[in-house]
Amino acid sequence: MVLKVKELSVSYGEKTVVDKISFSIQKGEVLGILGENGAGKTSLIEAVLGIRPAIYQEVSILGQSPIHNRKQVFEKVGVQFQESHFPDKMTVAESCQQWSVLYKHTEPYQSLLTKFGLQDKENSLVKSLSGGEKQRLAVLLALLPNPELVFLDELTTGLDTKARKKLWQTLRDYKREGLSIVLTSHYMDEVEALCDRIMILKKGHIICEGTIAEVITYSGQASLEDAYLALTDEEGER
Amino acid sequence: MTFYTLTKIEAKLVWRGLDILIFGIIFPIIVAFLFGYIMNNELFTQGNTMFLQSYPAVVTISILATGVMGLPLTIADYRHRHILKRFQVTPASPLTLLCAQAFVQFIASILSFLGVTAVYLFVFNYEMAGSFGLFLCSYLFVLIAMYSIGILIGSVVPDQKAANLWGSLAYFGMLLFSGATIPFEIFPEILQNVFAFLPLSQGIQLLKEVSLGGVLSDMIYPIVAMTACVLISSFLSIKYFRWK
Repeated sequence: MVLKVKELSVSYGEKTVVDKISFSIQKGEVLGILGENGAGKTSLIEAVLGIRPAIYQEVSILGQSPIHNRKQVFEKVGVQFQESHFPDKMTVAESCQQWSVLYKHTEPYQSLLTKFGLQDKENSLVKSLSGGEKQRLAVLLALLPNPELVFLDELTTGLDTKARKKLWQTLRDYKREGLSIVLTSHYMDEVEALCDRIMILKKGHIICEGTIAEVITYSGQASLEDAYLALTDEEGER
Repeated sequence: MTFYTLTKIEAKLVWRGLDILIFGIIFPIIVAFLFGYIMNNELFTQGNTMFLQSYPAVVTISILATGVMGLPLTIADYRHRHILKRFQVTPASPLTLLCAQAFVQFIASILSFLGVTAVYLFVFNYEMAGSFGLFLCSYLFVLIAMYSIGILIGSVVPDQKAANLWGSLAYFGMLLFSGATIPFEIFPEILQNVFAFLPLSQGIQLLKEVSLGGVLSDMIYPIVAMTACVLISSFLSIKYFRWK
C-alpha cells in the first residue's frame, strides 16, 4: 500500500470541511479527487501531507507517518500545490538546483526540463514564464526526486490543449514505471485520461467512488461529465 | 551541501534585488564619509568627540537595513507566496531556507561593517580607545538583538503589506531617532529620554561605551536591555510564527 488514510477529518472551528474520509492507493495507481470548489479536496490533501491539523485513525504514506517520519516520507513523495510561487528574481535553473539539493537522490534536472519542454527557459526568470510553463515547472519539481507517490492539485489548470495532452502522456509514462498519483481536477477529460479510480467529494463527504465505469453506471448517466453533474447536484437537493 | 547551495541561491536573489546593496552597504559607507568629513573639521568645536562617537553608531545602519527591513520582508514574502509551504513537504525544513536567507543578510551586514570601518580607519585615522575584540563581540550581540526584532516582525505580520509597514516603522524609527544617523547627543534631553526606549538606542549606547573604553557599570543597563530584547522577541516569534 502506497497510501492509506482512515477516518480523516478536518475542521475549521465549528465547521467540518473533511468528514471521516478513508481511502487507499496501490502502487502504480492513479486516484482522482473530484468535487466543486470548497468540497474539501485541498484540505484533504494538505491534511494527508501533515501540514494541516486533522483528526484521523491512520494516515500512512509508503508505510510511514508523514508527520513523525516526514524526512523519510518526503524523500519519495512529490507535491504540486494548486498555485506554486517562486521568489521574484529566481531563474528556472535556480528553482531546479534549489529543489535538487533538498533530496538525497534526484533526477538530473536538465533531462526533465527537456521532457517538459522547458529546455529553452533554463535562464529565464520564473515570473516571466507563461501560466502553463509555470505549471509544468511545478509538476517537474514534484517529479524531481523520482518519487513513488505524487500529489497533483489541479494539474492542468491554465494549460492549453496541446500542453495538457503532452503532460498526460508524460504522467502515463511515469505511471507505467510504477508511480502512484493522487490528483484533483475539474476536467473530466483529464480524469478519464489518467485516473484508475475516482472519488467525488461534496461538503467533505465522499458521495461516490470507484472506477470511472462504476461511477457512470452508479449514476445511470451516459458520460462521466453527466454522472459528475448528476451526482453533485442530487446530493445538494437532499 | 544543502545549506551551501540554498545560501548561494538566496545570495543571488538578494543581490539582484539591489535594496541591500544600496541601503545596507553603500548608504552606510556614504554616511561614514560624510560624518568623517564634517566632524573632523576644526570648525566643529566638539568635532573629535562626536567623530569618535559616530563610528559605533554608523556601523549599526546596515544591521537595521538587513535585519529589521530585509529579513522580515523576505520572511513575509516567502510565507505569503507559499514558498515555506512548498518546503514543508520536502525532506528539508523551511527553517533551513530562512536560515540561509538570514545568513546572506548577515554577510551583507559584515561587508558594510568592513567598509565603514575601513573608511574610519584609513580615511579619517580613527583610533578606538577601547578593545576592538570586545567591540566586535558587542557588535554581534546588537546584531542578534536587531535580527530577533526583524524575525519577530516577519513572524507576526499577516501579509507583506504589513511587513512593509512595521519593517519601515522600525527601520526609519531607529535609523533616525536612536542615534544611528542623527547623533543622539544633539536631541533635547526630553526627547533623549523618550528615544532611549528604542532598542537600538541601547545597542548604540553599548557600542559607544565599549569603543570609548568605558567601564562595565555603564554598560549593564544596555546589556540587560539587549538581552531582554532577544529573549522577548525569540519567545514571541516561536509562539506566533506561522508557516502559511
